[in-house]
Amino acid sequence: MKTLPLVVFALAVLAQWLVPLAAIRQHEKVLVEGQLVRLKCTAPDPYDPLRGRYLAVRPEATEADVDKELKSYRGPGYAMLAIGADGLASVTRLERQRPAEGLFVRVRVRYAHEGKARFDWPFDRYYLNETLAPEADRWLADSLRSTKAVLAEVRVLDGRAVLEDLSLDGKSFREHLKQRLKTAKDP
Amino acid sequence: MSASRQRWLLEQIPDWEREGWLTAEGGVRLRERYALAASGPGLGQIMLGALGALLVGSGLIAIIGHNWDDFSRPVRLLFAFLPLLAAQMFSWQALRGGAAAWVRETAALLQALTAGACLALVSQIYHLGGDWPDFLRAWFLLSLPLAWVLRSDAVTLFYLMATAIWAVDQYDSGLAWQNSPVIYPLLLIGLLPRWWRQPPPGAVLRWFMALNAGLGLGAAVSFAAKLGSLSFSKFNAVLLLWSVLAACFVLLPLNARGMAESTRRKPQVVLGGLWLFGYGLAATFADVGEDLLKGTDSALRLPAGWLLLVVLAVFVALAVRQRRWAVLAIASVVVLPLLVHAVFPSSSHGGLLAGLFTFHLAGVGLTLILLDFAGRPAAPRLGAAVLSALVLARMADSDLSLLAKGIVFIIVGVAFLAFNFFMSRRRREVAR
Repeated sequence: MKTLPLVVFALAVLAQWLVPLAAIRQHEKVLVEGQLVRLKCTAPDPYDPLRGRYLAVRPEATEADVDKELKSYRGPGYAMLAIGADGLASVTRLERQRPAEGLFVRVRVRYAHEGKARFDWPFDRYYLNETLAPEADRWLADSLRSTKAVLAEVRVLDGRAVLEDLSLDGKSFREHLKQRLKTAKDP
Repeated sequence: MSASRQRWLLEQIPDWEREGWLTAEGGVRLRERYALAASGPGLGQIMLGALGALLVGSGLIAIIGHNWDDFSRPVRLLFAFLPLLAAQMFSWQALRGGAAAWVRETAALLQALTAGACLALVSQIYHLGGDWPDFLRAWFLLSLPLAWVLRSDAVTLFYLMATAIWAVDQYDSGLAWQNSPVIYPLLLIGLLPRWWRQPPPGAVLRWFMALNAGLGLGAAVSFAAKLGSLSFSKFNAVLLLWSVLAACFVLLPLNARGMAESTRRKPQVVLGGLWLFGYGLAATFADVGEDLLKGTDSALRLPAGWLLLVVLAVFVALAVRQRRWAVLAIASVVVLPLLVHAVFPSSSHGGLLAGLFTFHLAGVGLTLILLDFAGRPAAPRLGAAVLSALVLARMADSDLSLLAKGIVFIIVGVAFLAFNFFMSRRRREVAR
């Protein structure tokens, strides 16, 4: 057996481990060291709030001020965040260059025009167990109709954001789900 | 020769020897020449192996997709890596033990699928967004070495399709060039080690390669045009760039063995030739000719346009050196708008271009026929088809009555059928 194919194979195996492991390390670091940010969510597509086995998560803010000279720009950008008195985060501005300091998240700018830019957040779904999915779908629809806000709890570190949980009224959506399932069993 | 034909030939040899048509020495030589490799897989074996790997891989992905909420994150991550580890060990055994081809195929495909499933599960656990082109790129790059070392056609097919889909999708991404379809040629070159010191790819794989490479390179050329501030609305310029690309396909350098192969095993010539004849035929209409001249002007302002022309010039020089006159005749279709633009830079000479294209295509059609009579590699039926299509296009564009057009159509149709009949007879006589 020649050595070269074995070496190439070993390198391929190594890469197949390193790529997911690097992603795991990156996201674990954000979850452990990142600052908790709460973003208010809007109603997702009413006809398709749950696609497959995940909840579609859409933070309310999808537009922000941007440098007026940035015309028809599409590509990476940085959403500067500020935490309000109510504890909720809002986007104050979009920057094309990575900021040196502050709380910011790397986003994808869809379109910039006349000092405003629309952007996509780096998270848009919350995966969950397929048996919980139908109840979660109903919970999200009910909650979004109520006056209380559904919040996306996101950990942010060095521009990276990892969606940690969804909450309503200070409680994780999982707790709400458990409560609903219990009520459904013992009405 | 395909494995099934080889098998048929080997089965006939004992009969031919018995009936005295073949000497014992001739039989030995034929057996040596067309021996099937011991590990040579049948198509059925490979397909069943690939199907098995696909089913196992899809099952794993579905189990992972269930999202085992009751388990902690580390346990779920373990689920992602265990199938990958098992598949890697299977591949290692197949590689070290010199396993049969179908086992290598199965192992490679299974490993590629489990690598993709592992990436998908990590994305699921951390609720990563739905940016599937990035996922696809990571997946096909991690799978590529398996195509090399395990000599897997299934993984090669996956890589070809995935890279082409990725390149086409990235056209409109607005990303920097390093994340754009411009890098597609490098991705394609990355596949070459698959055939290092190995037999060349079979006919089916060649067609897949040609189709996917056409899509991927087409996307790369379109994106390069966009980088040069040329919007897709200037479609005629992009059309010219695609046609130069098609000419490069037709003239792709081949070694002596490649040149001796039948046209059926050269999909790049067939696909490139069809594109160029379509392009040439459209250009025989005056208004289209005018648009094409405008496109030529825009395309020649782009660095990508000049780069393609340099590649074409190199390929032309090699083809002339190898006396590949038939493919040179086909590729020459793309040169006409460039020549007319060089002499008359204004776009108001669309009528002239259309006339020149009519004569040029007629010349190419005749060349393809006459080369066959001169005993050189040619495509006489394609030549006759070009001439017929040309006559029909001119008739459709003329002010003649329907009756006259109908009669001409019938005459051309009968002539085409007669030529086809004549060529079939001639082939049989030459074979005798």
